[in-house]
Formats: sequence, structure tokens, C-alpha cells
Amino acid sequence: MKVEISRRRFLQGSVALSVVGGTALGTSNILADTKTSEDNKIRPTKKTPTLCEMCVNKCALIAQVRNGVIKKLDPNPLFPKSKNMLCARGDAGIHALYDPDRLKYPLIRAGKRGDGKYRRASWDEAFEYIKEKMVKILDEEKDNRSCIGYCTGEGMAEPTYKEFMAEKFGSSNFINHASICLQTAISGYALTIGGYGMADLDNAKYIIMAGANRAEAILTPDTMDLFKRTRGRGAKLVVVDPRFTNTAIHADTYVPIKVGTDLAFVLALTYVVIKNRLYNREFVEKNFDNFNVYKLHILQQNYTPQWAEKITGVPAATIEKIAYDFMANAPESVYYQGRRSTWAATDFQLRRAQAIFSALGGGIDIKGGIVFGRKLPLDKEEINSPIYANAQERIEKNAAAIIGSSGSWIAWRNMVAQGNAPYPVRGLFVYKQNPMLSVPNTKKTKEMFEKLDLVVVIDTMPSDTAMMADVILPECTYLEREDPIKSFGGVEPAIVLRQKVINPMYETKPVLEIMKGLAKVLNDPLWKNTLKHDEDVQDDTKDMKPDELEKYRKENGFDLEDMYGANQEEMNKKSFVGKYGEEAWKELRSKGVFYPHMKEYFKQIDKNTFEYYPENKKSYSIDKLGEEADPDAYIHDTCINPKEISELRKFFKTPSKKIECYLGNLKKKGIDAMPTWREESYVKIPKGKFKFITGRHAQFTQDATQNNIMLLELMKENYAWINDKEAEKRGIKFGDEIEVTSKIGSVRIKAYPTPKIIPQTLFYIHGFGAKSTGLTFAHRNGASDNEIIEDRIEPVFGSAIMHDTIVDVRKV
Amino acid sequence: MNYAMALDYQNCINCKACEVACKEENGVQLGADKQRIWVGVTEGSIFGHPFVNLYPSQCNHCIDAPCVSVCPTHASHYIDGGIVMVDPTKCILCKGCMEACPYDARFVDDTIFAVDKCTFCHHRIDEYGTTACQATCPTKVRLFGDLDDENCDLVKLLKKRKFFFLKEGEKTVPKLFYLVPEDENFLLRSVGKDTKIHTWDEIKPIYDEAKAKRSKEWKRS
Repeated sequence: MKVEISRRRFLQGSVALSVVGGTALGTSNILADTKTSEDNKIRPTKKTPTLCEMCVNKCALIAQVRNGVIKKLDPNPLFPKSKNMLCARGDAGIHALYDPDRLKYPLIRAGKRGDGKYRRASWDEAFEYIKEKMVKILDEEKDNRSCIGYCTGEGMAEPTYKEFMAEKFGSSNFINHASICLQTAISGYALTIGGYGMADLDNAKYIIMAGANRAEAILTPDTMDLFKRTRGRGAKLVVVDPRFTNTAIHADTYVPIKVGTDLAFVLALTYVVIKNRLYNREFVEKNFDNFNVYKLHILQQNYTPQWAEKITGVPAATIEKIAYDFMANAPESVYYQGRRSTWAATDFQLRRAQAIFSALGGGIDIKGGIVFGRKLPLDKEEINSPIYANAQERIEKNAAAIIGSSGSWIAWRNMVAQGNAPYPVRGLFVYKQNPMLSVPNTKKTKEMFEKLDLVVVIDTMPSDTAMMADVILPECTYLEREDPIKSFGGVEPAIVLRQKVINPMYETKPVLEIMKGLAKVLNDPLWKNTLKHDEDVQDDTKDMKPDELEKYRKENGFDLEDMYGANQEEMNKKSFVGKYGEEAWKELRSKGVFYPHMKEYFKQIDKNTFEYYPENKKSYSIDKLGEEADPDAYIHDTCINPKEISELRKFFKTPSKKIECYLGNLKKKGIDAMPTWREESYVKIPKGKFKFITGRHAQFTQDATQNNIMLLELMKENYAWINDKEAEKRGIKFGDEIEVTSKIGSVRIKAYPTPKIIPQTLFYIHGFGAKSTGLTFAHRNGASDNEIIEDRIEPVFGSAIMHDTIVDVRKV
Repeated sequence: MNYAMALDYQNCINCKACEVACKEENGVQLGADKQRIWVGVTEGSIFGHPFVNLYPSQCNHCIDAPCVSVCPTHASHYIDGGIVMVDPTKCILCKGCMEACPYDARFVDDTIFAVDKCTFCHHRIDEYGTTACQATCPTKVRLFGDLDDENCDLVKLLKKRKFFFLKEGEKTVPKLFYLVPEDENFLLRSVGKDTKIHTWDEIKPIYDEAKAKRSKEWKRS
């Protein structure tokens, strides 16, 4: 990164410049190239391997530091998951670090909620403010810890925050991104084939990618594996999407489909395969549970391609051909799972149908199919969690059939906003999440914040959500901290480390230090509050002497400060060296990546290609690994909570390694036991109106990178995609401002008429339209999708339905 | 030494990692129109079926570079390996080079009042052997190398794969080798029917000859 010289300074120096020429330029550090060699002479570049956090992938990178300034982030080729690359966001990480709008010191609200007026505070002052409010609230609520909710986005430091709030502080009201992201996809697969797994796109011969968009929503290693093998190089790609995405441009077959009809498409594929007995009979015989029931169901319901054509708009012949081709290539064929899901109310059933369809070809737990891989174990410190008798269950537990430990954002938010929770929720901690932009129906999110007595936001940027806080605690960025060590499972498992590259800037702190600070101020006052209100503790501690009482408190986990070690480095070392030893620890710290035999296995094939494991050491099948198989191996990324998956599997008593066609327990809860098309739950598009869809792209991560100047030059604002013919009818041309109105709100955005989207469908990218005046560059760029998406949830997990909002479009 | 680059453009997903890596590596001026490197996009629809073609591109470091020939102050010049550079201290912003360049690879850097362009990351070559754009690319579109080194990955690749050039008719002997895709349909869709397809054996003598003509200038820096 070059620091640009201001125009005025340049002009002042320009007289001298014309005389001394090159020398003047060289010494005034204008030229990056000249500067590189100059700096190298003075102080060598320090290189620190670490991990990216510009999105969820955690790519390995090497940071170059000169004179204490991070100059460049380069890919670290050693990590098998990220395979020697950094995307645009990863490269632009420097501008997240040096963003002039960053939160620099703690802030306490000085005006009305949402008006953006704050005063600077010291950390002590901020902690004291939080303590006073919390002690008061918890006293009034008689030590019901759940009256303080907490939410978080995905991140490597998420456990540091979450475990404190759940295990030590003791609130059950936790919400993360799952219910506005991939809950239905993850759980649909987990309950059907035992795990979400990963598609082996390095070996699959036939891939159906429906709705997923790996060219624009980059996922490692899938994106890198896939696009080196498309266009006649081993992987046939079928893209099913209402939009002609950058993924679709690589497809052998592009299938435009009506929004929200994917389930009918998959059911028809299944029909063709079952009717014509194209499935892998041996695999089905051995691994399916209740196959005959499912078979009968599909045939009786008569899910023919002709039936599906009417619903999906996909020609019956195309469906038939795809079904045949898929099975001809099976088991090396994958119906790609997809990630950010919940398009329609039937999404869970869609994911189940996909999983069963994939399994009919036998492509589960096998090279070229959906694989579960292996995970390198790490030691975990047990947390001594106290039990608070008065802490209540989460408020929205009955909002859907199964509300997991990560909650339902919409149901939770609406209960707080409407004041109809079973007990009052009075505070909310927000870490690394921006519900003002990320949860459907922004108005209601604002209402929720207005109802709360205490809102604490921990973030790096003054987001729209930070503007709703009473106290803002500034976190340092990922380049300024060490995070919990992470093991990534998969075909080629590895352990990776995020190390601190430079010290935290300004008065920012890593979340570990923030939680430690909170634990310290809350520890004694909250213990007193527990003694005052908790009858169980009162019974236990009756007539105890002070030293006995203190002993009881420590033994039963009521000491809030006992869960963290001295520092993150030591905690990481502790969880690593027991399994791999001191030598390996040194290697991990110096290389950023470790896996057993790395020195021996890792080979450079050419300038662009590396081999991480020899073919016979890759973990394609856990079946073959036998004893070695680890239940955690099913979980491969930080978006998925392993505990929740194992709870789900226990709940449904999924027989090990069987494909579950029929979920009887769900039926008891009023949910279809088998994927079924329900005409009544399909939202039809009235004439002249549009169905709104949202999505991601490769230059921004949700709304977290919206103020990054480097990325903003790739895309300054979002545009609304509208079918070119329909735009023409309405007289809408490129760049025209249009008003998009749904039942809950309306936005203005520029139009992009294109043949790349099917009629009656409107699309724009998520992550724009911030209103926070603290974001100089992101402020009011484009429109936010969640201002118009209706807040409805699907019935199984309470996940937000993202693609069922009907909108009107009008030229302004 | 004769540095060049092969582009397996069929891998491109238009993620723009290369553009950002280039800006960060080289301190290129901020601004959407200030790019040393870019992804060219052509799109449209044939009988109602949309298509998009992507052509990642940058300076071709032409062996017979018109931008160098036209420069009145010798600001545009070659360095070792035939990399075309601009010396900003000599640039008088006449913009003749920008007119002369068939690839529109040059722009004005307003912070230094000089024309700026791709340098093939020449400062990285010794240490990394690659450019920032190649290193960062998720799908590995680019491969940088030395046409004079028979053993380098680039020459090995060019011996295996056919290739074409953009605007070959300008006769500037460009050094971005666009690899011909294996897929017939994609080839027909993404390469103009008048575009010449070349092989290594056939192109090598032509490039050697062109180099012989101008390489005496290559040391002047």
C-alpha cells in the first residue's frame, strides 16, 4: 500500500522536483517501486503467516510488515484449504485495518438511540457503565441471566465470546447467523445423510449447482477446484438459477428456474431416477432407511418431469436428461449442497430431497461425491460452568419445530420488539454482527433495539447496529490479534493459526481482553446477586463461613474469571502440544499451517500448483477410516456448530451411516416426514409484480466490508437486476432510479436491465445501503435488501425466508 | 531473458482479486479508472440465451512496443527481460504513449503527474518468481515466465497448449499468450473467427527475431 501524497504538498515540492528529478521522487516515497527497494535497505520486511478474516473461509496469508506498517498480504501456499490464493477481499484486508472510520476507543451514547451522538470514554468507564446497568437489570429480574441476550456473526474469536456468555454468564438467549444463513441446508443434510460434508469438486464428474454461486460467493477449496475443471476438463457443470451468474457462464448447461420451485425440480429428478430404476441399487440396499416408503411416495405423488415443468419453467426433457446424466456419472456426481439458504418455506425439505437424490447415485462418503473427510484433533479445556436456577430457557423456543442453540433471529427479534416474550429481555450484546442490515425487516430490528435497556456492541466499524448501542467497545481487526487455534477437517486436513501481525491500534482490544475485562467487573457484583436471588445456591451455602463460601463459588464455576488462560498464545499452545509436540508447535508458528508429515508430503508441482497429501493419504471416506473416524469430522467450517449437529442427530436417533428417507419424529411436530411439494406454501407472483431475490458477490462479504475503499472501487453501489424486456416495457433504462416496494418497506436503487435474469424476478446484492453516518464511504450507497424482505420464518428451524417477498417496481 | 505471461482465460470468474492485489502490491492510484490490470467483459445474448466472456488483461509488454517508440523523452523504456516501464521523472504527460498503445494499458497517475502501467511486478521477480496477480488468483488464470528458458513452466505450457494474441494485427509482438480452451463451443464463442491460433514451434522464431531487433534497447534503464 502506498500512502498517497496530497496534491498540495506535491505542488509545493514541484519546483525542486524539476531540478533534482529522480532523486526528489525517490526520497519522497512517491513511487512504490522505488520505495520497496529503499525500505528494504533500511529495515528488512518482516513476514508473519496468519489467517484472513475478510469472509468465512480463513485463507492462509503472509503479511509483509515494514516499519510497523502492513504493506501487503500475500497468499500462503501451505494451507490445503485455501490453496495459494487470496481473493479481492483478502487482498484488501489492509484497508480494513487502516480504515479511517474504524472504532478507535470506547464510546458511550450521548444522544438518543440511533442519532449517532457518542462521547469518548475510557475502557474502565465503559465497563463500569455496563456493570451498573447489568447489576440493576439482573437484580430486578431476580438473577434470570437470560434477560440479557447476545448475538454474534461468524468468526474465529466467536467461541471466546460465546462461551463466556453461555457457560459463565449463563444466558440461554444466543442468536447467531445460522437462521439468516445456512441453517436449513446444514441441518437438512445432517438429518438425512448424517452430515453436511463437502462436495469433492476436485474429482466429481457431474455437478448440479442450484442457486449456489461459487464464482461470486467464493468458498475454499470448492471455487478453486471447480473452475479449473469446467469447460470440458473433467467436470460437467449444470447451473440452475433464476440469474445467469458468473458461475453459470462456466456451465455446460444453464437452466433458468422460477424462484422458489427448486423442490419440484429435485422431486422430478428423483421421480425419473426411481421410475426408471437408474439409482445405485447396491448402495441403496445397504445404506437407505425406508427407501420403499420414499419410492412409493414419489411415484404416488406423480412428480413427473411434465408436472415439474409447469411449476419450475424447466422443460421436462431437460429434467429427464439431467437425471440420466447425473446417474450415468454417479457415484462421482454431486447435487451441490449450497450454503446461504432458506429461499422458501419448504427449504428444509428441498435440502433433504437434494441429499437423498445425491445418495441415490451412491455419491456419499466417496471420492468425487459428498465427502466427510477427517479432522486433526486438538485438546480442549473444560469450562467449569455454573448452574443458575433462575436462568430461563430461550424466549422463542416454540417458534418452530426445532429451535436449536443458535436460535431464530426473526422470531427472537419480533418477540422482543413486540414485547410478547415469556419474560422481559432487557439487554443485548452484539459481537461482529450487524442485524440492522442483516435481518429481514429493518424497521422491526430498530424497534427491538429501542425496547432494550442495555445494548453493547463490540465491533471494528461504526455500523448501523453500532449506532443503536449504549456502549460501543472497539475490537481490533484480525491482523492485530491472535485467535483460538483452528483445525480444518476435510479430504486434506490441517491445523492453522491466526497470529498477531501488528499490535492493536488506537485503544482497541481483542475480544478475549474485552471479555476478560467484563468478567472482572461483573464477577463479584453478579455473585452477590446470585446469592440474593438463587434459592438453590442459598440452600447449598446456608451457614457457610466466608472461606467455605469462596471455595463453593470456585468449585461450582461461579468465578467468572476462571475460564481464560493468561493469553491466547499460551491457550493455543496448550491445546496443540499435547497431541503434536513442541517441534510441531514451532513449525506451526513459523509457517502458519501444520499437518503431520507436512515436510514430506508438501510438494510444488509448478508455479501455480501444489500437492498437500499424496493421493493415498487423502481422507475421502470415513467408512474406510474406521476407528479413526471422529464425530467432529462432519463439520468443516466455522459457520457450523458441531455441538448443535450432534444434538440434532441424537434427538432423531439417526442410525449411523444410514440415509434417512423418512423422519417420523418430525411428523409428530407437524412437519412432512418426507420431502413433499405443497402448492399452498408456494408464493405465486401476481401479474405485473416481481419476486425479490438477494445474493452475494466476490467483492464484498455481507455488510462487513462495505466501507473498504479498495473494494468500493470495484463496485461503488448495488444495482437492481431486472429482465431487460420487462424493463423496456416500463421504460426503465440502465442507471435509472427505481423504487422497489414490498409490504414492509420501500427502497430506491439504480436499475440494471439485463437478459441475465428471468422475468418477474428482481435481484440486488446484499450488503449495501448503510445509513450510519460513521461510515464515510459506505453511507447510503445503493439499497439494503432487508428493508424490503418480509420477516417470515420457515416452520422447521425458524430460519428467515429470503426469497418469497413480492415487490412492486416503479420508475422514479 | 524475455518475460511473458500465459493466460488460461477460461478459468476466470471475474472475482477481481488480481486487480486488488496489483493495487496493493504496486501502490497504484485509487480510482475505478486507474487500473494496471483488468478483466474485460463482453456480454450479450444469442437467441435469448445470455452469454458472458471474460478476458483478464494488462500491458502486453510488446517486443516491438509502439509506446516506447513514440515517447519523446524516453520516459517509456524497456528494462531487462523486455519489461516496458515508465520513468515518471521523465514523463511530460504528452499522452502519446496512451494513444499509441493498442491495448489501452496506460493511464495517468494524478498523484505523480505521470503515466502509469503494469510493470510485471519486476521488483518481485527475484524473490517470488511471479507477479502479484498470478500469486493471488483463486483459479490460477496466469502463468508468468521467461520465453528464453526452455525449462520454465511457461514454455512447458506453451509447448503443450495452443494460444492466440489480442489484436495481433497491430504487429506489436505482444507477450500475453491467451491459451486456447479445450472446449470447442467455448472456443467458438470466445475467440473471433479471424483470430490466428498459434503453436510454440511456429511462433518461437518470430518472437526471437523480433527480440533480436529491439533487445539492444532492453538494458537502457
